[in-house]
Parts: sequence; structure tokens; C-alpha cells
Amino acid sequence: MVGPQYDFLSNPLGAVRSTFDTAIASGTDPSSLEGRDWGALPLFRHFLFEQSRISQVPLLTPTTIRFVRPNTLVRFRGMIQDMPGNEFYVGAYKDGSMWRTNKFMDVLQSPICSSADTRIWERRLLYCVPVPGLSPWTEVSAEEFGNLSMDWMSDSREKRMRDDESSDMPVSCDKVQDSPNTKRMREGEHSSAASHSSGAATDIASSTTSLGSEIVSNSPPCIVKIYDSPESEMKLNDIFEFVGILTSDPELQEDNEDGDLSDGFSEDTLRHFPPNQVPRLHCFIHRKLGIQDFLQNNHTVEPKPDLVKGLREALLRHLTTILGNDDVTSHFMLLHLLSKVHARDNGLAVGKLSLNLTGFKKETVSVFGKQLTLVLKKLLPLTFCIPLTVEYLNTVSLAPKKNYDTNRLETGVLQLAEGSHLIVDETKLEAGTLNSVGVDNCRLLKNLMELQEVEYDFKYYKMDMKTDAQLLVMSEGKSNILPADVIVPFQPSTLSYSEAVTPEVLEAWRWYLATVRQLTHSIEPEMQKVVERDLVAARQADRTLSPQDLSRLVTMGRLMSLSYGESSLSLEHWQMVKELERLRKQRLQ
Amino acid sequence: MASDSSPNFNHGPSSPDDSLSSPIGNTFSSPGSRRRRRSSTPSASATPSERRSRFASSEATPTAPRSRQSVGGRVPATPTSTTDDVPASSDGGDGYDMDDARPTFVWGTSISVEDVNDAIHRFLRDFREASSSQADDNGLHLHTEGKYEKLIRQVIEVEGDSLDVNARDVFDHDPDLYTKMVRYPLEVLAIFDLVLMNMVSRLKPMSEKHIQTRIFNLKSSTSMRNLNPSDIERMVSLKGMIIRCSSIIPEIREAIFRCLVCGFCCDPIPVERGRITEPTICLREECQSRNSMTLVHNRCRFTDKQIVRLQETPDEIPEGGTPHTVSLLLHDKLVDIGKPGDRVEVTGIYRAMTVRVGPTQRTVKSLFKTYIDCLHIKKTHKSRMQVEDAMDIDSGPGRNEDGVFFEEEKVARLKEISKRPDIYEILTKSLAPNIWELDDVKKGLLCQLFGGNALKLASGASFRGDINILLVGDPGTSKSQLLQYIHKLSPRGIYTSGRGSSAVGLTAYVAKDPETGETVLESGALVLSDRGICCIDEFDKMSDNARSMLHEVMEQQTVSIAKAGIIASLNARTSVLACANPSGSRYNPRLSVIDNIHLPPTLLSRFDLIYLILDKADEQTDRRLAKHIVALHFENPENMEHDVLDISTLTDYVSYARKHIHPQLSDEAAEELTRGYVEIRRRGNFPGSSKKVITATPRQIESLIRLSEALARIRFSEWVEKDDVAEAFRLLEVAMQQSATDHSTGTIDMDLITTGVSASERIRRESLLQATRNLIMEKMQIGGPSMRLIELLEELKKQDTGVSEVHLNDLRNAIANLATEGFVTMHGDSVKRS
Repeated sequence: MVGPQYDFLSNPLGAVRSTFDTAIASGTDPSSLEGRDWGALPLFRHFLFEQSRISQVPLLTPTTIRFVRPNTLVRFRGMIQDMPGNEFYVGAYKDGSMWRTNKFMDVLQSPICSSADTRIWERRLLYCVPVPGLSPWTEVSAEEFGNLSMDWMSDSREKRMRDDESSDMPVSCDKVQDSPNTKRMREGEHSSAASHSSGAATDIASSTTSLGSEIVSNSPPCIVKIYDSPESEMKLNDIFEFVGILTSDPELQEDNEDGDLSDGFSEDTLRHFPPNQVPRLHCFIHRKLGIQDFLQNNHTVEPKPDLVKGLREALLRHLTTILGNDDVTSHFMLLHLLSKVHARDNGLAVGKLSLNLTGFKKETVSVFGKQLTLVLKKLLPLTFCIPLTVEYLNTVSLAPKKNYDTNRLETGVLQLAEGSHLIVDETKLEAGTLNSVGVDNCRLLKNLMELQEVEYDFKYYKMDMKTDAQLLVMSEGKSNILPADVIVPFQPSTLSYSEAVTPEVLEAWRWYLATVRQLTHSIEPEMQKVVERDLVAARQADRTLSPQDLSRLVTMGRLMSLSYGESSLSLEHWQMVKELERLRKQRLQ
Repeated sequence: MASDSSPNFNHGPSSPDDSLSSPIGNTFSSPGSRRRRRSSTPSASATPSERRSRFASSEATPTAPRSRQSVGGRVPATPTSTTDDVPASSDGGDGYDMDDARPTFVWGTSISVEDVNDAIHRFLRDFREASSSQADDNGLHLHTEGKYEKLIRQVIEVEGDSLDVNARDVFDHDPDLYTKMVRYPLEVLAIFDLVLMNMVSRLKPMSEKHIQTRIFNLKSSTSMRNLNPSDIERMVSLKGMIIRCSSIIPEIREAIFRCLVCGFCCDPIPVERGRITEPTICLREECQSRNSMTLVHNRCRFTDKQIVRLQETPDEIPEGGTPHTVSLLLHDKLVDIGKPGDRVEVTGIYRAMTVRVGPTQRTVKSLFKTYIDCLHIKKTHKSRMQVEDAMDIDSGPGRNEDGVFFEEEKVARLKEISKRPDIYEILTKSLAPNIWELDDVKKGLLCQLFGGNALKLASGASFRGDINILLVGDPGTSKSQLLQYIHKLSPRGIYTSGRGSSAVGLTAYVAKDPETGETVLESGALVLSDRGICCIDEFDKMSDNARSMLHEVMEQQTVSIAKAGIIASLNARTSVLACANPSGSRYNPRLSVIDNIHLPPTLLSRFDLIYLILDKADEQTDRRLAKHIVALHFENPENMEHDVLDISTLTDYVSYARKHIHPQLSDEAAEELTRGYVEIRRRGNFPGSSKKVITATPRQIESLIRLSEALARIRFSEWVEKDDVAEAFRLLEVAMQQSATDHSTGTIDMDLITTGVSASERIRRESLLQATRNLIMEKMQIGGPSMRLIELLEELKKQDTGVSEVHLNDLRNAIANLATEGFVTMHGDSVKRS
């Protein structure tokens, strides 16, 4: 192990180089390396995790991007939005008699033209964007960076002049940003294509102009270059935390294609992301993030039944008050919030529980709907709200679409990370004519609801991408555009009023929702027989029950016992589900 | 031939040819260098010496990319070292000053140029198709011509400019050559071209045509995703879909300069390293003025170049990934071979090119742009189930391989599956696995997918092989889902909804082209789904006019158009899969199918199978369903037994069977068929009953043949066995018993399908009519008071007329009949004798 001759944080490349030299010195043949790791990664892993220094690595945000110097270690959290493909680069070359490596770097240190001994290696490119719909509470508090960046500032002050030119863009975006909710809507209105082709700068800049209510420091999009990891590990729409070297080389900014072949080969994806707007991150270590990783204090508490039960009761009470004392609805709401696709069988998504609250009028929506939306935003890390209007349906691009001119996958509203929550407000829908886009969008929404799949448009063919989103529909009558799993007529008895909730309680509820959702679940053989018997009886009694209805009942049973933090279905919970279903049926009549 | 090219060969490098001074200058590794090489001397073959010089330069080229490095950084060019093994010997490094005795090696390898040259020569001269090669092996100049000699002759005759060489032939003839070719394509192909030119000039001495070798059909094809740095500079073959084509770029090959002072034109200057060195001094000795040369555009030689982007086909994309793309560089004849959306199979050389930071800067980014220098492009078919009609593959003068679409191992796998004894069950289970039960319906649909044999007699009569199916059922019985599924699976499936389909939309219509004023035929859904399955949802909601168009399609399988100056008959060899709801939204078992679905009997009889999908309460089924659902939720899906084929395998299976299996009736099966048919016909004769009920029509026997053929196909069997026929009968009965059961007698009654009324029903109506007439005669006077229908019904029931169970509706019909006779008049519910 090499001693502290380099600082991992400020000079990660030093570590790369020195390990490379060690490897070469110990007789590793660069040609046999083929881009594989030579010992640098374990070093970083050790540094970050075993010495738990990961919190010292600055997180890339518009605020921090001003302080972060190029070629230092940074963290970035984002969703993989597009995969531009692989890139071949000069991995190792001989400079004189010395082998040097170019891994984790963009530009060659010295011209290679005379060198016969160059090795071409391969790396993957990922275009990552800030996680869409991220609630403000997930952001790491500003002070935390403050302390960190101060140190950085002090020794980088002299270099600030030079750095400014490469990072003067992000400065402008460190402003007020509107809530993800309204931003989402806006993005939809001028079909998010625009926001992408014009790059992050205008996107963020334009969002500052609209009315901002909450301060959200959003991180910029980022091109992450991945080394040493199998392709299957990363999927589209996954959320990752990347730790790597931030590069932004001013030389690359004058990225003019050379004349002779530019006419055809200019479809280089990266051309559309000028490095001064989209930073490059050479990734050492990445780790997949789930919902629970967005909690503030990531305490790994054992979900004890008592604790969970207490939290459940409190949360349910809170939901009930929000929903105007509607007990049935709040029960369903809780189950809905815990649902998650846990298996797929022949295109069927098992475990989803989309909810349709009917009985909303324009007036009630403004009272209850708004409250509910706010509460959900506080509880869940990834939330969206789609106001369904004819105009919206006719104009928005819901599905991501491949643009072959720019060779980019242009994102759509429904490009969602796993575990997102989507509120569809159908009360605003009025009679009108849908154009072809609108019809298509309706179909997409329906598919999302029924199959948890979104069809990505690759122009010459469509590709179904699996998603896992919780859908909540608020409508006046039963929604026909969005056939939800459960339809619950909403019957408030009192007005909704929001209780003051302490941040600690809120935090506990978030923890509850995120953790309980992940629990594994099973069923005892006896219980299985009971459930089967009940299902058969139910179907014998009512022929209109479809297999989907039965499946939903079992899902509810599962979620019910999960909500108590239990890992196997008990008779009591099954009875509760049946009772709940009975009450719901009663309301439907 | 070999004897006269070899000396030439050895001679070349040793001769103090002028061209030897330029090999270094000739080094380039930018795209298209191979072509540049080819075209570098247009009159190369005119004289032996020039031919030699062409050779010399092209021999230099293989060594070029590497020799440049040894020469030192004269040019800021690409590091082309690739991943070749580092040369063990240095003697290849300067191939130019070798003397005659030493063999010439491709730089950095142990490949001897002479050896390769000879090997290629032998291949082109001696290769014969497998069957005849043994016999002719020893004789060089036997009467039979080698395959490629013949092809070369053809190419010369048609003045073509390329020779397609099947890489598999190369492999069969000389595996070593094949390996070298794939490993060092630039070098080997250069020699290939050279040998070819030698042969061409021998066959046609004065030919000035340049013929290029186009290799295709490599033994293994790579997936775009798996291209990695080790593939650089190797020959690869991959499949993909064209997504973008650039415009055609004229690329300069040779430039001609003229002196502005004296008007002297220099000799054509070839492109080197993508650049043309402009002469600074007028080459004419008398002039020699400086900086006077100017480019004469219209005397320069240009070639076509096009850049195409190829994307992975959807089936190669792993879950959660986006498709990869790769650029293709096309030259000359390959330009514009495909358009966006085409699926192609490309053979070419994978190359990498450095990215310069700026046009003026010498520093390069550490990145490479990769692209494929195309040698050959072949259009392939879609991933859907393939169909039997002629394929428009672009295989040039080469032979038209039939089996290429199914790789051998795939076929082997499919055959393996087909051998399983329970294949029929497996396929049934694999079809729409998320739809519960309905196994018999799925079996019928399976038969439809596989289809029977279409037969065309010499007399011109043709029998369709397509099986038409109608699904009638209660709402919510997953009919539409089945339809969607079949649509996804079938070749050229078209999915329409009855409500939205008009007659012309289904068949074809004539339109006037707004620009030219010509009348054009626009195909509708049925024509478009020729050799596919046309799925029509909501068949019952279709307008009668539209439905009537289907008559012709479903039996004659053509669409005839006669209007607006166009009389045409278009093929519409399509299977129709329709589904309909019963007329009252739920199926009324008391009514016949006809009454339930309101379809004209003429059309109905054209369906081979009519399935009634009724939701029957069956506890057994429910229990299985419950078990399945609970298991789905609580068991790990990986642990669950999945004995089903995935959709792509199923598609392959179906398309292979449709394409390659053409079963015939065995004698035994034919006998069984006759026996069975006679049996059903006879079943109509009730013992002791005089009324004759037609139970089956000749149409049914055709259906049966088709079904049994399809069943044989499912087993990949060339013979229709007795069991197939038995199963076909079973399917027909299952379908028919449901759909053609006469509810009053319980027997199969084809009259019900063909006229809408069963024989016994007819008799019953007749007697009711008679009874009503008698009743009215008895009870009412002409011009007397009117009676209500209810009263009449009561009266009828009181009387013992032999008519059991009279319904108001039946009575109403009877009265209506009498009214048409003028016997009574009816106003609402009251009847009056007139």
C-alpha cells in the first residue's frame, strides 16, 4: 500500500498514477491489462468506506460546483437518463520508455503521435441527470457543504481565476428554483426536448424566472464515464451515487470537429454537451441508491414490530386527518404508499397497487388534494404531480423519445426512477378533442398503470421499459383513462386541516415508508390455504371478479401485514383486508 | 496462372521501381484507404510494368500502418498499432529493401505475402461447391470451371465492379486463409484485390475495370454491444438497423492541377492520408513558376461516400439498456443501399480514428471514433415471424442462400424443442401465458399461427391454407388480449378495430395522386397483412358494408378493385382473426350464435373455427387460479416452474415451421379424415327421426385438412398423422359444439351457422305460426276488436297446440309473419284481424 504521498481528495489522479507505476514496475504488461483495474480501486474503496471518508467527498451541486476544482474527487447523485454508448480511448501509452496511463482522464498529457505503443481501452458513458421529482428534504443541508468547501476554497483561491472560466455557467444557476412539481409541469409544457437540447444552463436559468416557492439546489446533469464494471450492473433510470474525478478541461471546450470527416461523424453525442455545461466525471466507485438512501440520517434501525406499529398508527392518524376523517381511504392510502412491484410474471407486475380516489370536485381538490400532495411530498423522496388536462395531454411528451439527429434520448415525464410516486389530478380534465399525441399519451398512462411499463420511442421501434411507480389518481368519477387497481370513493366528513408535525416525526415516517416497503414477505402453508379458499369463494359468489381483482386482494393482504412490519401474512391482517374491501364495495354501490 | 503471377510478385519489390520512393508517402490509415489504393492507378493493368507498380504500392500498404511508426513521427497520424502482437522480428519493418530470396511478410505478423497470395489464387481458381470439389481437386484446368472463376467472368461480362466472395467458401477451402483474412483484413484484402485483378486481366487483357472483392457471410457475427478494442482492424460482421444516412459526399480521389501561368496540367495526384499535396512549383521544366498551380475541379476524380448510422436491433438490447449505435462508412456502390429503418447485415472492418482537438491543432484527444469500413451489406428481414414469399436480399451475383436467416444452432435448438413429446402442450402454454385457461381457444390460435398448406392446382383453383377464427364471448374474457398477443406474434399482423374500420380501409382504395393526377391504389389492412394475420377487434361493431368486403378475402384471398380506371385484384392471403361481443352485451345461451352476434351467416361460414368464450363458473378452475395468484405473490418468481417458451423462441419456432415444413396427408390420415367426415355427416340422421339436419359442409372438410396440417407443422412433421386429424376433429367439435349447438335438440347443426335457423327451430316456428293462425281465426273476427299480444299468448298456452313453451318473442315473430301475409295488422302490442 502506498502511503499518503497523495491526497485522495485533492489529487486522486496521483493515486491512479502511482498505483499504475507500481503495477508496471511489478511486471504487469499494459497490453494484457485491457483496461482492467490494477489496484487503484481497492485503494479508493478502502479510503472511502473503510475509513468512511465518503462524507468528506463534496457532493456535486450548483453550489458546490463553484468550489470544486477540476481533477479532484467528487460525489454525484443522479439518475441514468441515457447511455450514449462506449468510448475508446488511449488507455496506456509509452512516453519515452515509461508506460503511462490515461485512465480516468480526458486528454493526453503528451502527444502520442510518435508512440507505437499505445493501448486502446474502452469505457462506458452514462448521461446522468438529477433525480427527477426529488423532494427538497432529501437535499443535504447547505452547512454541510459549507464547512467542506471552505477548506477547498482556501487552497484553491489562487486558482479560482482560472477555474471561473470553466465554471462560470453554474454560478448563474445557483438561484431559486421552483418546486419540482411546478417545474415538472413547465417542462412538460414546452416538451422537455427543448430543455435538453439547450443544455442544462438554460434549463436551470429559465426555471429561476418562474415563481419559486422552495429553495431546491439541484445538481447539474453530468456525463459519467464508467470503468471496470459489467454492463448489466447499470440500467436506465437507476439512481446511482458516483464517486470520481471531476474533469473540465478548458482545452476541450473549443470542441470543433476536425474538418475532414466531421460531415458524417459529427453525430458524436458528447458534442451536444459542452464540457462547461455538463461536467465529466470519471467514476471510480458507484453505488446504487434506493429510496431509503435519501433519508437524512440514515440510521439503520431494526424495524421492530412495536416501533413499526406505533409509527403506523401515527401515520395513519395523520393521513386520516388530512383526508377529512375518511378512515377507509386513509387505510387504502397507506397500503398504496407501501406498494412496490416485487415480481413480474409474463408482463404482469405483481405488487403494484394504484389508487383512484373518486368523488373529488374542483372545490374539494383545492382543499384535500392540495393538502395530500403536500403531505406526500414531505413523506416521499420522489414525487410528481400531473394535472391532466386536454391541453396537457395534447402537448406533453410523456414517453422518452430517441432523437437521432442529436443521438440523444430525450426524456419524457414518465422517465421515472424506481419508486417514484405520481399523482394524477384528473379533476381538471374537461371535454375536448385529443389529437394523436394526446391519444398516445393516454395509452402510455394506461400502460404505466396496468403493466408498470413505459414505451420508449426509438422511432423505428418501441421498447418497453419496466418501471415501478406508485400511481394515485384523483378524479370526480371513476377514471377511465387510468384504470387503477383500487377505486375508493372519497368521503370526507370534516375539513382537512394539517397538523403541525415535527421534523423528527416526519423523519420517522419517511423511514417507516422507505424501510417497510423493502421487507421481504412470505406466507405460511395454512394461511395460503385460507387465502385460496377465500378467493375461490369470492369468485364463486361474484363471477365478475377477474383474476386481477383476486390478485389485488392478495397484494393488499401482503401490504397490510407489511405495514405492521411483519414478514408473513396472518389471518388477522387478511380479515382486515377483507373487511376493508367490503367497506369499499359498500361505498361503490 | 500461378506460375506467371508469382514471378511478377517476387519481381515487384526488388525492381528499382519509381514507386518505391513513395511507399512511405503512401501510408495512410484513414478510412477508405483500401479504396484509395485501388483507384490510385487507373491504368494499372494496361501494361505489365504498371501492374507491377500497382502491386508494389499495394504491397506497401499492408505494411504501411505499422511501418510508418518505425519511420518515425513524420506525420501526426493515427496510432494504428491496434492490439496486434508486438512484432517479434524486425525484418518486416522495412519490407522494401528485402531481396528476392526472402519472403515478404506483413509487418508485425508471420504472414507471408506470397503465401497469402498463393492461397487466394488457389481459392479463386480451385474453389468449387462442395459436391463437385472432390472430383476436380487434382485437375487445374478441368472442364468444370471453379465457382469464382465463373463469377469473375460474369462480373466482367456485366461490367460489374465487385466480386462477392462468400467467407464460408473461403473457410471451407482454406481455414487458414479465412483466419488471416479476418485477423488482418486490410492486408489480405489488398492482396485479394490484386490477385483478382491479375485474374481479370488474364481473362480480359484490356480491361480497365477495377473489381473489388466484397466479403460477406462471415462464420460468426458479432453483437454491436460486444465490439471492443480487440476487434479494431479486424473483419467483423454485425446486424443492425439503419437509423440515419448522411447525404452522399463526393470524396476526391485524384486531383489535377493546372498551372495558371503556362496552362500545364499535372498528372493526377492521388489522395494521401486524406490530403492532397498541392505542387508548389509548375512541373513543366520551361515554366517552373512558383505557387501557380490551381485545382481543376471538373477533371478531378471523385467517389461517393456515405456515412450511415447503424443501431442494434431491439432483440439484442438487454433489459434496462439503450441501443448502441455504430457508424458505417460506405463507398461507391454501397452508397444508398439502405434507407433508415432497414435491417441489414454488415460485413466490414472495424476501425478507430483519433479525434483531433481542433482542425489546426496537432494534439489529439485521447479518444477514438470508431466506425466500420463496409465491405458488404445485406438487407435482412424483420424480426417478426418470417414469411414464405421471395426475399429481396441483395446478394448480387452470388447465390441466393435460403437458410441464412436461421442460424444452424438456432435451427438445431428449435428441432430439439420440436422433438419433445409434449410440444403441443408447451406451445399452448407459451401462447399468451398471462391469459388464463381457454386452452382450446389457444390451440386453435396456435393452428392459425402455423397455418395449413396453401394449394394451387394446375387448373388454377387454389385452396387457402389460412385458418380464420372468430371469437365470440362475454366482455372481459380477454378476447382483445388474445388478439393483441397474436398480433404481436404474427407476420405482418395488422390490428384494426371494427368500429374504426371502413370497407376501403380494410381492402384497398383508389386515390388520385394530388401532384401527378395519377390514380393510385392504396392498400388497406387486409392487403397489408398479406401472408399474415389480420386481427379485427369488435367485429360485431363493424358496418355491414365493411363486413361484406370480407367475403372475397376470406375464401378467395384476393381483393378486387374496379373503379376509377383501375381494375385490379390484389392478393390478400391473410388469416382473419376476429372477435366479437354478443349482441346484447352478454351471451344469451337461449339464442343461436347468429342471433347473438348478428353476423351474416355467409360470412360466419367462412370461419374455420368459431369459439364461444363463455365465462362459466367452474370451481376447479377458480381453485387453480387462486393457487396461481397466491404463488405469484409469495413465491420467488425465479423458483416458479416456467415451462414455457419465450416470445422470441415462439416466433422463431412458428416462422421456421411456416417456412420449412410443408406437411402432406398420409394415407392413413386421409382415410381417417374421410371416415370422420362421413361420421359427422351421418350424425345428423336421428335414429327414428325423419328430419334431416345438415351437420357439416364441404367447407368443414377443408378446414379440417388445414387444421391437421397446422397440427403436423407444430410437430415439425412432414406428414399429417392420424392423431393430427383426430385432434383437428376435436378442435372443430369443441368450437362447433359450443357455437353450433342447436339449443332445442343439442346436436350439431350446421344450418344454424349457414342460415341462422336450425332445422328443428324451423319446424317449431312453423307449428307456432300455424297455431297462432288457428287461434286468431277462432277468436277474432275481421274488423273486430283487437287483442293484446299477452292475451294471445295466454290463449295459446291454454290450448294444447303441441307447441311447448311459447315465448312472447316467438309469438311476436309469428304475428309479424302473419302480418306480412296480410292476415292481421299489428299496432304496438295489439293485434287486429284485417
